[in-house]
Amino acid sequence: MAEKLLEIKNLKQYFNQGKANEVRAVDDISFDIYRGETLGLVGESGCGKSTTGRSIIRLYDATAGEVKFNGVSVHGKKSKSDLKIFNRKMQMIFQDPYASLNPRMKVLDIIAEGLDIHGLTKSSKERKDRVHELLETVGLNKEHANRYPHEFSGGQRQRLGIARALAVEPEFIIADEPISALDVSIQAQVVNLLKELQEEKGLTYLFIAHDLSMVKYISDRIGVMYFGKLVELAPAEELYNNPLHPYTQSLLSAIPLPDPNYERTRVRKSYDPTSHNYEDGEEIAMREVTPGHFVFCSAREFESLKLTSAARV
Amino acid sequence: MEKILEVKDLQLSFHTFAGEVKAIRGVNFDLLKGETLAIVGESGSGKSVTTKAIMRLLPESSSEFKSGEILFNGKDLTKLTDKEMQKIRGKDISMIFQDPMTSLNPTMTIGRQITEPLLKHQKVGKTEAKKIAVDLLRMVGMPKPELRIKQYPHQFSGGQRQRIVIAIALACNPQILIADEPTTALDVTIQAQILELMKDLQKKIDTSIIFITHDLGVVANVADRVAVMYGGRIVEMGTVDEIFYNPQHPYTWGLLSSMPSLDTAEEKLYAIPGTPPDLLDPPKGDAFALRSEYALAIDMEQAPPVFQVSDTHFASTWLLHPDAPKVEPPLSIIERMKKFPGSRYYEGVRTNG
Repeated sequence: MAEKLLEIKNLKQYFNQGKANEVRAVDDISFDIYRGETLGLVGESGCGKSTTGRSIIRLYDATAGEVKFNGVSVHGKKSKSDLKIFNRKMQMIFQDPYASLNPRMKVLDIIAEGLDIHGLTKSSKERKDRVHELLETVGLNKEHANRYPHEFSGGQRQRLGIARALAVEPEFIIADEPISALDVSIQAQVVNLLKELQEEKGLTYLFIAHDLSMVKYISDRIGVMYFGKLVELAPAEELYNNPLHPYTQSLLSAIPLPDPNYERTRVRKSYDPTSHNYEDGEEIAMREVTPGHFVFCSAREFESLKLTSAARV
Repeated sequence: MEKILEVKDLQLSFHTFAGEVKAIRGVNFDLLKGETLAIVGESGSGKSVTTKAIMRLLPESSSEFKSGEILFNGKDLTKLTDKEMQKIRGKDISMIFQDPMTSLNPTMTIGRQITEPLLKHQKVGKTEAKKIAVDLLRMVGMPKPELRIKQYPHQFSGGQRQRIVIAIALACNPQILIADEPTTALDVTIQAQILELMKDLQKKIDTSIIFITHDLGVVANVADRVAVMYGGRIVEMGTVDEIFYNPQHPYTWGLLSSMPSLDTAEEKLYAIPGTPPDLLDPPKGDAFALRSEYALAIDMEQAPPVFQVSDTHFASTWLLHPDAPKVEPPLSIIERMKKFPGSRYYEGVRTNG
């Protein structure tokens, strides 16, 4: 198997800890991200998928657990210079292309902000050239550098967000619902761009979204989250063809497809968390049912899942 | 089938500082009783403006009906006064908006918001209205309606708020319900619930629905007929099967191809190149020609007329002209056409075994 770029171990992110309104947004999840792959993270709003992304990149201080990037812990004490090195390697693309660009800055300065912070360019000419190069990489042209964000459409703005993330030559990009705010035809353009850049620069993505058909298209592996827990993790094809956790099954059965004949026969399953009938003291954990396919289940469920999967093969 | 609404050659412009934006450039369609008509297209194609024109929700100061009429029960809605329109709005025609977070008033209890149209349009007293409101909430699947009627919008989740908005829209048993991207802001699981709810309610009270969305999956699920809009015009219209399995317009091909399906793993997703046309200065030929690889020379010169494909299927593209060269649609579209009796790629019913 490929080299691990990121290891997330028992990550917990609680808000208002110890108070009556404590929220366990991310509750003890563990997974790895391999170099060069795209890991998709799906779930309904409020399930903690964005919080997971934000905790990984240290926008929040994790309540407990560990995030290791290239073997080095992300959270924990860091000197300013260490933090700077880390920040260069990990970048984020945000959901809302309207709110994530400063309306009072020119595109040139928005994209060059990272270059300035890290001192990556020596002269203002070099800085300008680098920005022009980045704009061309994402399919815009260099005349755009002197404009303000409001002069761009949604899809173009998302391209600016991508150019900004690429400016510091990161290894790992967290894309938090990068296409949810865009039109269908524009979504395809942005997704194709992300895929091309990945091939060109060997990037690793964590792709957070609730549009399951797009996630399947872009991801190598997919994790499904439900109420702060990771309930299933499997290669993309495997997850769609053989979803094992009842929540994943209900999520998949809810997607409408552009095919009227299929829609007339689609039966939606609903998920009832009490259907598991877990007994007190039963240990529920991620268990590997078939190679690479993990399900959050009890030992009892694990046995029956293994049997049914074996019967399928 | 009885026609309930007729839109005839509607043209509408906005006056802005930059000049006249021709947002709708000749739209024709009928709405039949009890059917669901989906309008699809990208942002700026004029789908929302069309429905807002029907509801007369566009600002009078900057918008102008250039020509055409909207006939509802024999009345032309474009000519009604504000007062007359207020009697129709919320009673005969009502609307569900995209964002359930902003379409409810945060300072009023939801009970007051549901009873508002009842008290205005129907001769019912306050206690009676309250009873109806409780029933409506129960009908849209809200648990404990008697208690929840006293609560404020912030005490509900997004899916629940959309249910409340639906309850308000249905309060007076409207003949037409316009739903402008009612599920775009919701999760797939919640979206599925809302769509099922709308279909159930439609069967119960027999309203006609105009459903605006850009999600073709949702269209396949809810629609009886589909209108595809581009650059302020309807470029193709037909039954849901005709649009999905026998599409004729290159723009419809592009839309259908850019959705990843769950079973194909193509290397690259099809993306329609370029950007939508500038309606300040709309192209004189086919508005989609500049982005289309199937464009003919005449597309640049003259807008295509509407060609009839079948009794219910119309498309406006020069490709359907008898003299036009026969072009092959994209592969994924041919795959779709193979399933449709009447298309030229139909393979017939495969016998199993």
